[in-house]
Amino acid sequence: MKIPSIVLSAAAGCAMGVLLSPHAAAAVSDEDFNALKSTVQQMDQKMQSLEQTNQFDEQKIQQLEQRLGETQAIATNAAGQAEAAQAKATPGPSARHNFTMAGDAEIQFGKTAGQHSGFALADFAPIFLFRANDDILFEAGFDTTLQNAGGPPGTGGGANTSFSLSFAQLDYLWNDYVTVVAGDMLLPLGTYNERSAGWLTKIPDAPLLDDQLLPSTGVGVQLRGALPVGENGQSLTYAVYGANGPGSVTGSGSAFQTPGDPTSGANLDLGGNVGILGDGTQQNLHSNPSGGGRIGWFYPWKPHYDVELGISGQSGEWDDAGNHLWSAAVLDAAVHISPYFEVKGEYANTWYGTDDAGTIHPHGLWVQAAYKLAGLDLDFPVINDLELVGRYDRLNDGLGTKTDRYTAGFIYYFTNTLLFEGDYEYLSSHGPSLLPPNNFVLQLSYGF
Amino acid sequence: MKTRKIIWWSTSTLVGVCLIGLGLTLAQAQPPEKKAEPRKTGHKLTGAELYQINCNRCHAERYPTEWTSAQWKTLMVHMRVRANLPAAQAREILKYLQEDSGN
Repeated sequence: MKIPSIVLSAAAGCAMGVLLSPHAAAAVSDEDFNALKSTVQQMDQKMQSLEQTNQFDEQKIQQLEQRLGETQAIATNAAGQAEAAQAKATPGPSARHNFTMAGDAEIQFGKTAGQHSGFALADFAPIFLFRANDDILFEAGFDTTLQNAGGPPGTGGGANTSFSLSFAQLDYLWNDYVTVVAGDMLLPLGTYNERSAGWLTKIPDAPLLDDQLLPSTGVGVQLRGALPVGENGQSLTYAVYGANGPGSVTGSGSAFQTPGDPTSGANLDLGGNVGILGDGTQQNLHSNPSGGGRIGWFYPWKPHYDVELGISGQSGEWDDAGNHLWSAAVLDAAVHISPYFEVKGEYANTWYGTDDAGTIHPHGLWVQAAYKLAGLDLDFPVINDLELVGRYDRLNDGLGTKTDRYTAGFIYYFTNTLLFEGDYEYLSSHGPSLLPPNNFVLQLSYGF
Repeated sequence: MKTRKIIWWSTSTLVGVCLIGLGLTLAQAQPPEKKAEPRKTGHKLTGAELYQINCNRCHAERYPTEWTSAQWKTLMVHMRVRANLPAAQAREILKYLQEDSGN
């Protein structure tokens, strides 16, 4: 059947229309295209211009931030200078007050020959430090102990708390070379006395001579200071003081509290002349104070390698009448060789006149050595925290008793301030006031 | 004499047993102290070095973070008097302690 031509023509026309209509719709005149192209080019130029402007702005912001920082630093500096100038112009306290408590505590388990073993709160020794200024410090130390209160019928039981003042002094840093100290001062006779906090001493018991021959404190006034020598840490130190001095238990110049009776105890009283008597009157027991001092030399050739030598002494009246002098001369030395090994010691010679026994001549010495096992470099936990210590004491009390004491001990460092110490002491003592033949102590010591 | 020897050995054995027992219950040990290095000539001592020279003579190291800045100032006055330290050295040590105290 023939397809009518009209239909064919119409179909062709439709087909052509379909084919040509997109082309016809997409057709853009050259003018429009050029206009569009020009617009795109302009926009591109504008974009580039904006990017350049943005970079310039960022640089400007960085410069401004830098200038701001400089300005702030200048302002801070100026404020500091203004403050310093004000402080200089208006003399007076420039530091806030500060109260700090330091000190140490010791708990012991021990056994002395002839006695039962037992636990004890050996000491709780707080040190109060009150700084009122950059240059003024008031410091005071106390010893707190427990003592059994039992005794004859009627005395009751329980425990007494003993709270005693170990020292109380005012320190004024007058200048770089002179410090004024006043009060119940730790005395610079040797070095053990000033450096004997419980967590520092390595052996719980004090050396015999420091315990029995030398006064630990004196009420008076002291000038002390240090002069640096060179740039390696070397220094010369000095201390000079005046204090009430030792006294007599009974007031007399007799050697013993009951004249001629050694069992009644020595009459010399190293620590009782504190300036206020039992009846409330304020006076020295005798008419003149004692004087003393120490000169020391410290030389380190590098950290943990050093030597210190010192000579110290004191002299003054001891009996109420002022007829007799008590004098002491002390040599002290300490050497450190590496962070692990130290040796130190003191020799003290004392002498005093009496009414009935001539010149009494107590003297003694101690030498102590300690070695930290970390120096063996064994990298073993227990060993690295252990230190071994030994001491030899010799004491002649000048009243007929001579003692040699040999001590071997250890310190285990739980931390830098928590120590576990133990020692065994063997004593060879002869005379009317002989000491027990041996002693065993374990001590937990905490410095704070 | 024999009794004394017995007591000595018994005591030593007891101490040894205590030490071994302590060792077995330990968790961690402190690191060994650093060995000192030779000092260069002409070198100005730092606060840390002055601390090692002066303070470690008597006691184990007290870490700067143990106290506040104000407390270190008080403690250093106390130590300058007690140990009779030269003033300039005490100031350098204080500066080192305060800088590292963190407060």
